[in-house]
Amino acid sequence: MIPDTLAKSLVKICGQSAVIVDEDRLLVYESDALTAYRHRPGAVVLPRTTAQVQGAVTAIARHGLPIVPRGAGTGLSGGAVALDGAVVVGTARMNRILAIDVANRRAVLQPGVINAELSAAARPHGLYYAPDPSSQTACTIGGNVAENSGGPHCLKYGVTSRYVTGLTVVLPDGSVAKLGGQGRDAPGYDLVGLFVGSEGCFGIATEIEVGLLPLPEGVRTLLGIFDRIEDAGRAVSDIVSAGLLPAAMEIIDGPTIRAVEDSVFAAGYPTDAEAALVIEFDGVEAGLDAEAERAAEFCKRAGAREVRSARDEHERMALWKGRKKAFGAMGRIAPDLLVQDATVPRTTLPSILKGISEIGKRYDLVVANVFHAGDGNLHPNILFDRRDEDELERVERASKEIMQLCVDSGGTITGEHGVGLDKKHHMPLIYGPAELDAMWGVRRVFDPAATMNPGKVLPEETAPGWPVEGDARETGEPMATVGAAP
Amino acid sequence: MSIATAPTALSGVLPESRVLTGSAASGWTGGMPAEAVVFPADTDEVQALVRAANETGTRLLPAGAGSWLGAGGWTRVGGVIVSTARLDSVLHYEPADLTLTAGAGLGWRKLAALLEPNGQWLPVDGPGVGVGTLGGAAACGVPGPLRARYGAVRDNVLGLEVVTGDGRLLRIGGRVVKNVAGYDLVRLFTGSRGSLGVITRVSVRLFPRPEADVTMVFEGGVEEVLEVARVVRASPLPVAAAELVVRGAGVADGEAELAVRVLGGREEAEDVCSRLVAGIGAAPGGTMRGGESEVFHRRRIEWEGRLPLVVRLAALPGQLAATMEWARGVAGWTGGEVAGDVFGGVVRVKGSPGDDGAAELAETLTRVRREMEAAGGTMTLSQAPREVAARVGWTGAGGGGGGLAEKLKSLFDPRPVLQSRCP
Repeated sequence: MIPDTLAKSLVKICGQSAVIVDEDRLLVYESDALTAYRHRPGAVVLPRTTAQVQGAVTAIARHGLPIVPRGAGTGLSGGAVALDGAVVVGTARMNRILAIDVANRRAVLQPGVINAELSAAARPHGLYYAPDPSSQTACTIGGNVAENSGGPHCLKYGVTSRYVTGLTVVLPDGSVAKLGGQGRDAPGYDLVGLFVGSEGCFGIATEIEVGLLPLPEGVRTLLGIFDRIEDAGRAVSDIVSAGLLPAAMEIIDGPTIRAVEDSVFAAGYPTDAEAALVIEFDGVEAGLDAEAERAAEFCKRAGAREVRSARDEHERMALWKGRKKAFGAMGRIAPDLLVQDATVPRTTLPSILKGISEIGKRYDLVVANVFHAGDGNLHPNILFDRRDEDELERVERASKEIMQLCVDSGGTITGEHGVGLDKKHHMPLIYGPAELDAMWGVRRVFDPAATMNPGKVLPEETAPGWPVEGDARETGEPMATVGAAP
Repeated sequence: MSIATAPTALSGVLPESRVLTGSAASGWTGGMPAEAVVFPADTDEVQALVRAANETGTRLLPAGAGSWLGAGGWTRVGGVIVSTARLDSVLHYEPADLTLTAGAGLGWRKLAALLEPNGQWLPVDGPGVGVGTLGGAAACGVPGPLRARYGAVRDNVLGLEVVTGDGRLLRIGGRVVKNVAGYDLVRLFTGSRGSLGVITRVSVRLFPRPEADVTMVFEGGVEEVLEVARVVRASPLPVAAAELVVRGAGVADGEAELAVRVLGGREEAEDVCSRLVAGIGAAPGGTMRGGESEVFHRRRIEWEGRLPLVVRLAALPGQLAATMEWARGVAGWTGGEVAGDVFGGVVRVKGSPGDDGAAELAETLTRVRREMEAAGGTMTLSQAPREVAARVGWTGAGGGGGGLAEKLKSLFDPRPVLQSRCP
């Protein structure tokens, strides 16, 4: 509940229908796609314009309440969870594409535009928006900016921050700042790059300028079937070392294949295989076949029992199906699913995969791997039932060991899902006090009053003097489940 | 701080053999004023220097090989130059990971020689990169035309070790290609021109060298070549880079050349080139392949670092014709060369204005900035004679951020000791 005076101000600023205070309707906003963390917000406000966001932020801050920015709520790190009765500022109604500037291959849009809708709108002009998180039919560009989202095709094309060229942001004090814009070459510090991936802690982006790419002329998609996952990992390393740069390389492991094949999403992968590797090349038609053939050869040399190739768009979709529906399928075989998101150096993939499998066996847990192999971005998923307390404890220990294994290999704790609420206590695994302190410092530059998305990204105990109420360790549950495909 | 006291303030931190003063210092800087040039050999020494500077109020100027000392007016204010040239060891290079971590002082040529046997490269072609250091490229963060294909410098810097202006040692980012753990301080420090800290180590993403490297050069009048550039830019074909150059007498005569670079598999590159030529409707004046193409571009980025005037005009690529026109207006006063990145929309004027005419040049620059800002662009002085810079200002109103930049500066360099500025 929020004070009546605040509710009235918000209605005055954004209109009656844009303000949600009804407890039942607030339920929808109590978590993001990582449903283990649930906290009902004090209210939700859905502004339509930069001025309304500015008004709402000012009014909420004046009442001393925390603010949580939210896109479509498809995030996988608890970043959009409203702790301590925070007020959610949702961008769902800010869903207009303001301009598609074909000559300059860019678009200007509001943050609530759905990722896939931007590409759909650009397509008639022969353009598209490259970052493609698996949730792209639901997630918003504003959310992508906050999380610096990736996706399968980021192997060749890079993540969100490469494409964001300008931002209009409402800062936590209600002021509006224009960062970059009009192309890529604003002088001064790269404040756009700093803002991207700040997980809603620095402000709310209300207008976003992004770069678009010409649609590739041709696509070749392969599917390698392996009896050992290490072999699939080796094929990935060999393809990259040979100088080939596929648009995407994705691995689906044995447990995942079986989950998919047992489900309504059955994609025709052999259920006795231990890994399926999807490889995609795109670009001009000339030379594409040769590249695909070379990649197929590397798969065979690494021990693939079979390499399939798609002959048309229909077959291509079929090859991708097992990858795209993996999370949905797993959701059907276990009540709970812990999704991890570590990135490791590519060459360590075979040994890391082996290590993860051993950890799973040691704790008697099913670990299913679906991941962006070309980037070394792993998603080991532990399937479990939270009602089994013993299992829950084993899951917790196994997940910590997996995280440590990845960090020890030179990797990091999150490649694309963000830190949010879920991984903030893992931050000290990769950063020391000096780095965490520097991050606190930067956060305070944007948000000196600690208004914006408190309790996320940085562990409170590393920030002397930062208000400690809203500490998720007290309130958040440790385990993660998946409600939507990431 | 007087010239006599600067080295004294930092004395004892480094052995004398790694401190240059007097004529040795100005020899190293190419005549730009510097109280001393110091060469720390490891990160600890950098940190000790920065701390000593904070205690004594000594002004520091971070540098690598010293090839771009004039940028942003670094040495116009004097101070002690901290060169990271000795921090040149390769700490981690796993070719199959396509990543490398090295000391900031690793020279670009050494880096290229290390990568070449593995068929890899760091496709960064910002001006001057070829003669500088890895740290210098990260600190300057200026992209060249290859950004069209590979992204800018900041897209390929994965991690940094920096000693901040107040002497803190930070290791930010990492050495994996995808990393969203915490706020992206790597992007803040990349391109900050040594104004927030001294970069001591850099981790970068590498790329396989493409099988084919083809450059087609189109020549003609400026209008004519601009039209070719427009066709190239509008084409969906994968062009790695395109740069339009007007030089020497051409600035007045209007003679220009456009270099279009295509990288990829052999079959792919030849196909792209022939389809581009078909779309343009005219054959190139010349075509270079392989090593010849590479050398052509390496020469193009040989540094303008010691030129008295470098002006950077940035606008949307669709405004290239107008930006070129403004650039030629400036070049009319300075002679030299005008180079425009067709996909990036950035045009650089590199010239040597005479001693007289500073007032007229300043007037022209001020007018160009005003007109460009009105059209949504920016004009920045990369290098300029003191009297011109004083009249024009290094940067205009662009950049935005409403005081955020100043706050970030005082967060990392509160005293401040780092005299470099980020235009």
